[in-house]
Amino acid sequence: MQQLYDTLSQRFSLGEFTRQRADLAFITVGAVRLHALLRHLRDQEGFTHLVLLTAVDWLEDGQFQLTYLLNNRAKCQDLGLRVMIARDNASMESIHDLWAAAATYQRELREMFGIDFPGSPRLMDDFILEGWNAAPPYRRDFDTLEYARATYRERPGRETRDPAAHMKQQLYGDKGDV
Amino acid sequence: MSISDVLSPFTAWKNLFRDPVTIKDPLNERPGAARYRGFHKNDMDKCIGCGTCETICQNGAIDMLPVDGIPAVQGDSGLRPRIDYGRCCWCALCVDVCMTGSLTMSNEYKWVESDPDLFRFTPGVDKKYWDNAELGYQRHDEKHLMPVAREEMPELHPEARLDSFVEIVHGYSIAQAKLEADRCVSCGLCIATCPAHMAIPDYIKAVRDGDYERGVQLLYATNPFSQVCGRVCTHRCEDSCAARHEGDPIAIRWLKRHIIDQVPQEKVIELIGKPAAPTGKKVAIIGAGPAGLTAAFDLARLGHAVTVYEAQAAGGGMTRYGIPEYRLPYDALDKDIAVITAMGVEIKYNHRVGTDIAMQQLEADYDAVVLAIGLHQGRSTRIPGSDHPQVRKAVDLLRQITAGETIDVPKSMVVIGGGNVAMDIARSMARLQMQHYGEIRVTLTALEDKAHFLADPVEIKESLEEQINILDSRGPQACVIDDNGKLLGLKTWKVLSIFDAERRFAPKYDPTDEQLHEGEMIVEAIGQMADVSLLGEALTEKLEWNRGRIQIDPNGRTSENWLWSAGDCVKGPDVINAVADGHRVATSIHRALTPQEATA
Ligand SMILES: Cc1cc2nc3c(=O)[nH]c(=O)nc-3n(C[C@H](O)[C@H](O)[C@H](O)COP(=O)(O)OP(=O)(O)OC[C@H]3O[C@@H](n4cnc5c(N)ncnc54)[C@H](O)[C@@H]3O)c2cc1C
Ligand code: SF4
Ligand code: SF4
Ligand code: SF4
Repeated sequence: MQQLYDTLSQRFSLGEFTRQRADLAFITVGAVRLHALLRHLRDQEGFTHLVLLTAVDWLEDGQFQLTYLLNNRAKCQDLGLRVMIARDNASMESIHDLWAAAATYQRELREMFGIDFPGSPRLMDDFILEGWNAAPPYRRDFDTLEYARATYRERPGRETRDPAAHMKQQLYGDKGDV
Repeated sequence: MSISDVLSPFTAWKNLFRDPVTIKDPLNERPGAARYRGFHKNDMDKCIGCGTCETICQNGAIDMLPVDGIPAVQGDSGLRPRIDYGRCCWCALCVDVCMTGSLTMSNEYKWVESDPDLFRFTPGVDKKYWDNAELGYQRHDEKHLMPVAREEMPELHPEARLDSFVEIVHGYSIAQAKLEADRCVSCGLCIATCPAHMAIPDYIKAVRDGDYERGVQLLYATNPFSQVCGRVCTHRCEDSCAARHEGDPIAIRWLKRHIIDQVPQEKVIELIGKPAAPTGKKVAIIGAGPAGLTAAFDLARLGHAVTVYEAQAAGGGMTRYGIPEYRLPYDALDKDIAVITAMGVEIKYNHRVGTDIAMQQLEADYDAVVLAIGLHQGRSTRIPGSDHPQVRKAVDLLRQITAGETIDVPKSMVVIGGGNVAMDIARSMARLQMQHYGEIRVTLTALEDKAHFLADPVEIKESLEEQINILDSRGPQACVIDDNGKLLGLKTWKVLSIFDAERRFAPKYDPTDEQLHEGEMIVEAIGQMADVSLLGEALTEKLEWNRGRIQIDPNGRTSENWLWSAGDCVKGPDVINAVADGHRVATSIHRALTPQEATA
């Protein structure tokens, strides 16, 4: 994997390299270089299979991390490419022209994180959240509990106690002047 | 065509003899996968009702409710989680966060009922057929959502403290305190255990938020001795902390200290605000220890004129004259006291009631009197030779050390006692020996064996680090004196048992296992009692007593309606109980002094 990184470095400007296992490594790369690098990996280096495309919300840093995981079947190797993009008006170049399946991942990321992939087929179609009308739910500032409270009705008969208040009432309470 | 191409259809045949991966009868048996997240199970013996599962559930599926037969006790609210499966999405966050590991999931998922309300039940209480299922989802043993280890407290190394009374514990940095505060799940189980019921999760949240001024206000709402308690509190609350089940309890005491260390004293006084308008009522308090001064603080804030009579030259009681400086520096204690006097409390130092002013005088001059005199008379073993002048009481010596009186430091000494007071005097004298002679020769003998020592484990650990020779299961028999009247040391026998079948104190010894522990001085540290001589004969007669202690009602009032009593002399055993007691009598006195119509 180190060798692959060294070869790639000669043609592309690459960021951090993390070797996770003998057969799994990650490379950080700038968004503008991703497409060319993916094409090269697919056509020249044997990474013909797009395993998955996923995202992480780094809320505090104002960034999304996209991870493109590729597989080289002949060599039994996995390579992940990590791309950081701005969280505000998040948008990334589509790769559906390299792997048609990418369109589905991109549709999911659009729905769950609100990341735009201009030109990606059926991008705006509902993926699994039919009729969703709130903020994208995988964004970390989405308040799931608040959404559940506002959206779903409570079955009658629900009640709860605060442990500290309950213990006060049971164990000491305000005994007052005796 | 190669030979393998010809054979390959046959190699598939070997699969005929393998176990199938599919289910034979999918219409009837449908086992969940081994780690499937099915219906919950909850181990009732382990669950502590902390409600952390309810807090984390993002679907609002959990309610915390009382259950018949599970009472609230220290460290367990008695509530148990009830789950509404109309809302649960089987995410298992509740299992991942559970503070005790009691909550798990079976791999059972098939259950058909026509009544939807049956899908709301309390796992472990409402019996289900999957309660004993072995398979299902459990949190990985080592994976915890909350860090399990306590932030380490920076401290003086043993070598650096052998000859020094400098404070051992340095206190957390802001970054450390935040990390420690982050481990608290705000369940509030600890509050009931704190005698003063301090707002622990709220002030820990103030540390997380970095809002120390709010923190100080929260501390003062229940405790005017946060400098003291932040350092030397017996911290029983930590024994009830939800975090202790799967890791270290939250360092509640150190976080309290951290808050009070961050805010300058003038700011503290400003934050508490001014006392109420004067009521014209006068209260006398005897003893400027934590009990007396807490009562004084509360009563002064309510507008009453408070005068404290204190026999010693400075305030704090045993926190100054007992607890050594290396655990509680005097300037920290002075800060707590300065805030109290800033509320208008007048302290008359060097005024011993009974000698300098009589009880009758106080009864005549004040609307109410509080007796908070602590326990200042050391108990004696009364073994032969214990009346020798070089046989001393721990509390007397500790007081002398604080007062700066010159002490004839013995080159070798023996301490009798295995409690915290014994450790305090042993470690204090060891420091003086190191300063005077450059070596430590202190032997400590305790009745108890190591497993049942009365002193805190930390005290024992630090004493050993400071070269104290700790001997367990040794019963004192005599202080050995030579023909010239010189004290040689302590004779002890091995202890076989301490209590009889009825749990009464009746030590049994093995006289054949006798030892002589060399010492130019012997210190008895086996307990203290109250010096009630100040009361005088007439009042002693009039008061009701209960096993040698003045009898009080639940509000701290004695049988004389002008006299209340609080702290060690009636209850004990520590600072935070004295504080709680001080609040109690202040509340009671305030009610008694306030005209009825105003309180009705
Ligand atoms: C060596 C030692 C170590 C301890 N360590 C700890 C610890 O680490 N943590 C903890 O929580 N607790 C500790 N304690 C216990 C704690 O100090 C007491 O529980 C607490 O101080 C009790 O407060 P109090 O106000 O009831 O009495 P005290 O603090 O004893 O105060 C009583 C005051 O009354 C004064 N007084 C007595 N008689 C008269 C009189 N006739 N006239 C005027 N004034 C009088 C005394 O001088 C004293 O100042 C320790 C005790 C000792 C002895
Ligand atoms: S599994 Fe998830 S949704 Fe269900 S009760 Fe637990 S936390 Fe709530
Ligand atoms: S988190 Fe665990 S211990 Fe706490 S109430 Fe829930 S099930 Fe019980
Ligand atoms: S300190 Fe412990 S018991 Fe108290 S609220 Fe925090 S986690 Fe709960």
